[in-house]
Amino acid sequence: MKKVDKEVADAYFRTRTTLIVIFLSIGFLVSFGVVAFAEFFSQFKFLGVEFHYYMGSQGAVVIFILCLFLNAVLSDNVDKKYGIDDDANASISSGKTVDH
Amino acid sequence: MDAQTLVSLGLILATFALYIGISIFNRAKQTSDFYVASRGIPPFWNGMAIGGDWMSAASFIGMAGTVLALGYDGLAYIMGWTGGYLLLTFLLAPQLRKYGRFTVPEFIGDRFDSNPARLIAAIATVIISFTYIIGQLSGSGVVIGRLFSIPAMYGTMIGVVIIAIYATLGGMKGVTWTQVAQYIILIVAYIIPIVFMSLQVSGNPLPWLTYGNVVDEIGAIDQELGLSEYFAPFAESDKSQFIALLFTLMVGTSALPHVIVRFYTVTTMKAARWSGAWALLFIGFLYLSAPAYAAFSRFILMTQVAGQPMDELPGWTDSWINTGLLEIADQDGDGVLDWTEIAVGNDMVVMATPEIANLGMFVIGLVAAGAMAAALSTAGGLLITISSSFAHDIYYRLMNPKATDQRRLNAGRIAIVLSTVVAGLVALDPPGVITQIVAWAFALAGGTFFPVLFLGVWWKRMNSKGAVAGMLVGLASTLCYIFLAMNDIMLFGIQDTGAGVIGVPINFLACVIVSLVTAPPAQHLQDDVIDLRYPEQMTYKDGEVWMNDGTGK
Repeated sequence: MKKVDKEVADAYFRTRTTLIVIFLSIGFLVSFGVVAFAEFFSQFKFLGVEFHYYMGSQGAVVIFILCLFLNAVLSDNVDKKYGIDDDANASISSGKTVDH
Repeated sequence: MDAQTLVSLGLILATFALYIGISIFNRAKQTSDFYVASRGIPPFWNGMAIGGDWMSAASFIGMAGTVLALGYDGLAYIMGWTGGYLLLTFLLAPQLRKYGRFTVPEFIGDRFDSNPARLIAAIATVIISFTYIIGQLSGSGVVIGRLFSIPAMYGTMIGVVIIAIYATLGGMKGVTWTQVAQYIILIVAYIIPIVFMSLQVSGNPLPWLTYGNVVDEIGAIDQELGLSEYFAPFAESDKSQFIALLFTLMVGTSALPHVIVRFYTVTTMKAARWSGAWALLFIGFLYLSAPAYAAFSRFILMTQVAGQPMDELPGWTDSWINTGLLEIADQDGDGVLDWTEIAVGNDMVVMATPEIANLGMFVIGLVAAGAMAAALSTAGGLLITISSSFAHDIYYRLMNPKATDQRRLNAGRIAIVLSTVVAGLVALDPPGVITQIVAWAFALAGGTFFPVLFLGVWWKRMNSKGAVAGMLVGLASTLCYIFLAMNDIMLFGIQDTGAGVIGVPINFLACVIVSLVTAPPAQHLQDDVIDLRYPEQMTYKDGEVWMNDGTGK
């Protein structure tokens, strides 16, 4: 066991939280944001259909998926930067699980 | 029995045999693996299993029909049911994974160190899963009803028997690979018909790129008929209802007990993030296709069925009229069927589309098998959740901590049989269409659990009294609003399906206020919450963070 500086630990938490806030904001804008101004967006067309309809039926879903994959990749990089080893995580985690 | 019934029935039975085969094979393997440390399921396959578990009869049978009927306003279901995975993967799943307890009542009971909270959570889990399962049962009723051209009600009765046998046969623990198979079958069955329809209508095999133009053409036909355009926003309901429904479905998705349980099988917080990403990709294939389904079906109905003389209607219309889901009447008596004289039940669209587009017996049978896969996989997962809430959280943890494994197993089986029978009785005369019933389950899940889980993993000051108050007030206000809205008493035009937007904020307020005016939770409970900020290798203890580098304690 090695002690981690409070600043390092806080920085880790801050970086991860910032990622969460950014991605959730993007998700919020492409769904609720477009719905709230649907009448305005209906004057544009994308792939043959009004933009508000496109965002609801495809655009938002595709962006949600991209957000999740991007977050998974970026979070892995953050973990690596802070010297976290996923194999160690897995072995620690399997010992801690409450089993029935 | 005609040839079509034989082909459909044959495909359904063949897929059943596959699921049973997989579960028997896995059960044998699990016994031999029992003493080996479990290595966890890779996120890719777990994502696929989450997809199979998640996509229910509502997604498969009901959603495209809802979009067809509601136009743009139906898209709240598409965005809501996918967006929930964002909330789940960012805000809840990794933290719940690190906490190491995987049923929702168990997390709530242990995090707040409170048996009353555990009991309320267990009862709420049963209520939510029960509501959800009614939707699945009436979905299997639609499939079986069409298969034998009988009213959907009798179809539901047969479906109840099949699902009860399927779930009690056992082999449901560790169903991951069965759900992977069910995912593959349902997604293939869903996508093949729209590829053919896309070819028929536009000559391009990629429906996702072509249906935009079809939507535009439907809008033009609507305009000619003097109806509101298909893609026009908020034609069927208020904007406030759209936003309320979207919110309810998103928040509810992230708080559904049977979905959260799926993150049990992964190894780490990192694997939970990747599982969420893969799951949404696999789920996305179906959700991106549903609006295409709706557009093509509506286009073919409007251009090829409407406008036909009454005595020259295609053969499939008869069998759907028998199920009670299709109504046609020549109201103006001119001998021609007009678009406005066709009443298409939401729940028949996906099932009927291959017949409407004349795609042949095999595709029709495949869609029936896919729909059964969707209903079965979700119903199975729900029944397990109900039985574990009852047998584990209520019976074992609260009533009889000394119960033997055998007695707990029996308690679980009784819970499964009872809930299937009661849900089956309710589903005989469903209180709404499938997507609507399912939306209630989401409102209840979000209204009862989301604030408690969210604050539970992010806010160390949250205590047991706050959790109890939040769940009770949230559950009660959501239920109340659903009943009021069903009786036409509504706030801001928000209907019963959007009830989560009422229940969730009330629950949040109750949690925060009650927690703040009562004593803070014990120090070790608060430390547990701070510990969730870091990956498994880092541990929070007495105000300091320690890195486990393998050099002992």
